[in-house]
Amino acid sequence: MSLLEIENLSVSFGEGNREVEAVRGVSLSLDKGETAALVGESGSGKSVTALSVMRLLPYPLAHHPSGSIKFAGEEIMDAPESHMRQLRGDRMAMIFQEPLNSLNPLHCIEKQISEVLLVHKAMTSAMARDRVEELMTLVGLQDQISRLGNLPHEFSGGQQQRVMIAMALANEPDLLIADEPTTAVDVTIQAQLLDLLKDLQEKLDMALLLITHDLSVVRHMADTVSVMNAGRIVEQGAAADIFERPQDTYTKTLLAAEPKGAPMPADASAPDLISGEDIKVWFPIKRGIIGRTVDHVKAVDGVSLTVKRGHTLGVVGESGSGKSTLARALLRLEKSDGSIKLEDSQLQGRDASELRPLRKRMQIVFQDPFGSLSPRQSVGQIVGEGLVVHGIGGSEEERRTLIADTLKEVGLEPEMMDRYPHEFSGGQRQRISIARALVLKPDFIIMDEPTSALDMSVQAQIVELLRDLQERHGLTYLFISHDLKVVRAVAHDIVVMRDGKIVEQGPAADVFARPQQAYTRALMAAALEMKADDTGVVGI
Amino acid sequence: MKPLKPMNARRLENFRANRRGYFSLWIFLCIFLVTLFAEVIANDKPLVIQHDGEFYSPVFMTYPETTFGGDFPTEADYRDPFIIEQIEATGGWILWPLIPYAHDTINFNLNVPAPSPPTTDNWLGTDDQGRDVLARAIYGFRISVLFGLVLTLFSSIVGVAAGAVQGYFGGTTDLLFQRFIEIWSGLPVLFLLIILASIVEPNFWWLLGIMLLFSWMALVGVVRAEFLRARNFDYVRAARALGVSDITIMYRHILPNAMVATVTFLPFILNGSITTLTALDFIGFGLPPGSASLGELLNQGKANMQAPWLGLTAFSVLAIMLSLLIFIGEAVRDAFDPRKTFR
Repeated sequence: MSLLEIENLSVSFGEGNREVEAVRGVSLSLDKGETAALVGESGSGKSVTALSVMRLLPYPLAHHPSGSIKFAGEEIMDAPESHMRQLRGDRMAMIFQEPLNSLNPLHCIEKQISEVLLVHKAMTSAMARDRVEELMTLVGLQDQISRLGNLPHEFSGGQQQRVMIAMALANEPDLLIADEPTTAVDVTIQAQLLDLLKDLQEKLDMALLLITHDLSVVRHMADTVSVMNAGRIVEQGAAADIFERPQDTYTKTLLAAEPKGAPMPADASAPDLISGEDIKVWFPIKRGIIGRTVDHVKAVDGVSLTVKRGHTLGVVGESGSGKSTLARALLRLEKSDGSIKLEDSQLQGRDASELRPLRKRMQIVFQDPFGSLSPRQSVGQIVGEGLVVHGIGGSEEERRTLIADTLKEVGLEPEMMDRYPHEFSGGQRQRISIARALVLKPDFIIMDEPTSALDMSVQAQIVELLRDLQERHGLTYLFISHDLKVVRAVAHDIVVMRDGKIVEQGPAADVFARPQQAYTRALMAAALEMKADDTGVVGI
Repeated sequence: MKPLKPMNARRLENFRANRRGYFSLWIFLCIFLVTLFAEVIANDKPLVIQHDGEFYSPVFMTYPETTFGGDFPTEADYRDPFIIEQIEATGGWILWPLIPYAHDTINFNLNVPAPSPPTTDNWLGTDDQGRDVLARAIYGFRISVLFGLVLTLFSSIVGVAAGAVQGYFGGTTDLLFQRFIEIWSGLPVLFLLIILASIVEPNFWWLLGIMLLFSWMALVGVVRAEFLRARNFDYVRAARALGVSDITIMYRHILPNAMVATVTFLPFILNGSITTLTALDFIGFGLPPGSASLGELLNQGKANMQAPWLGLTAFSVLAIMLSLLIFIGEAVRDAFDPRKTFR
């Protein structure tokens, strides 16, 4: 008998014609010491499946038309709430994606970890204290025991996620559900966390239900895999089998979706299009009544780089390394020091109206396809705004033709012009963003994590599109990403950033093949092979 | 008609789903529409007069008394038994409005001393000057709602503009503006109104202007917060990267987002304005003496405890009006709440 047995589980939200079927007939079983992965794109129903095991869905809005969930042989589908409370946090526990949102910002971490002990084990506070220290050691935070009285925001993202894991493991649960546990952290931290989870699972002989969209995580962790699509499990089996011999077409597309290929060869003798010298973006830290500047946050600290016409410069680094700030500084969207030149025109020191003619030549595409389009404007208005500002295409008719052409170019239908952003999927929205930049026929486009918020299969399509557009229009890109696989597929040259400074730069092939710096090597190992760094270059 | 955008269609549906608010809106609109035509419903001038084979409409035109065989070249007093006799003597007739009293008509034919209790003549009785209470309530309702609407409109325009500038530019602009608002909102509004009322004769527009000086601050906070949030959105950055000017970004990209918060607030500001006007009237620093006002009616109710119809009428009209507006406000809030689901 397995520890967890889900049979023909369905979940629906709402009733009547507002009913949405989120999960349809999912069956799954999981044994002690085993790891099962639920894989799928966003909206496929993986998180809802996991939450129904914990019975944490918003009942009665959510309901189960069919199915049974057996935990250790006992049916929990219709167990009373009081019984579920005994199980949760004691015999089954859960880790969520966003550590900062899952920790109460007003309670110190000791209180949060010990709460579950006090509730379930009726420990005295002295006993709980000992257990908390034991747990901190278990999750690799032994150096932080002296900071148990600190609040969550005083810890880094990786440390917060470890605190979450400590909370989940406090009562040595039989089943641990991890819902995208590493999506919100950097690759180097991701590798460490996955190692930790694997290690703990062996020590405690837990069953681990891992929910993720990231196939490389699955490959690294899972014994069995269930691939979900639109609420159904389309393929289920041992991990090795599925990766070697996928049967279902959807699984095949998912596996084939990782960004591949290499950038088009570019002319090495091309002239510099954009060059920045000693760019600095320092944010003052002010103290005291009169707001004296006591120090600076050096977001970008003396970065010099050049991008040749027709080339793609990849900028990689962990979050907080200053990549996006650098991008905004290059476009003069952020105040900065140092020289920024577009061909021979100095950008620094121009006011808004002097800058406007140059704005046409350089554009930006942002990460979040939901946040970067104004929700109250139609696609035509969004794409056409730049045309109006720069007086391109005299009449309304001409402008509509230009917009239609650009939409076609990024793989959308011209008829979509009069629709609104919320009617589109993430990938389509990102195409609209690209169209908005492209319609002005710029020379230089900054791509600020253009694929990071998209599902895997869409990422590959967007990378394809970007390469295609570059070839057709001779575009120059500055491509920012934390995802080294994507960068490898598009960049001619690479800059590795850390703490606002450049750690290493050079042609992409060289940097990938022979990284010179220890930090670059750690980053590559974590991103491409999921190997945690053991040299101590990367902190917890 | 242009089809509604899906978002607006959903909002309308959500608004309708709140039955109480939806019916409140209809009831309020009916009452408001009726009171807008108060002159043809409650008036001491007849709607139509037939006299000497000709038709007259005193509600819309002014006729001298001589027209109907009187002696004076001034406007006819149609309640004068002599005039009525003159008209009827020639076989003419008079069509009165439903309530043959205006808000300032004094009924001299009372059998008891004013305030007189409800009769078939004065449905809700008269006040202590012999004026019809129902007529005063109708005119009072109209002026309260109109005052509230105009004040709400102007204070939202000023408030949204001020909040937008603060939120969008942030930094020093925001800091100075905020300190100014803190000082400004610390001024004792009531005393200022009383002092100003002794300098100028307060009429509708004066009161509106004076209250506008202080009421615009209600919206600044929410609008500022929306702008502070939205100015860092990627679509605003994208617009800046396109070279769009600040004013255009504020108007076209951020304002529509701030409008949700603003619209949600409006019914409550409207209610606040109406209550303030009533309070001022109650203590006698509001609209000029003689105008129909609910506050004055309340005051009379307080002064004449033996005549409960005064206080009861003023209370019911205010209570119904304010409750209807609050219910509508709740429904509007539901309609704009993206997370609201109805089961």
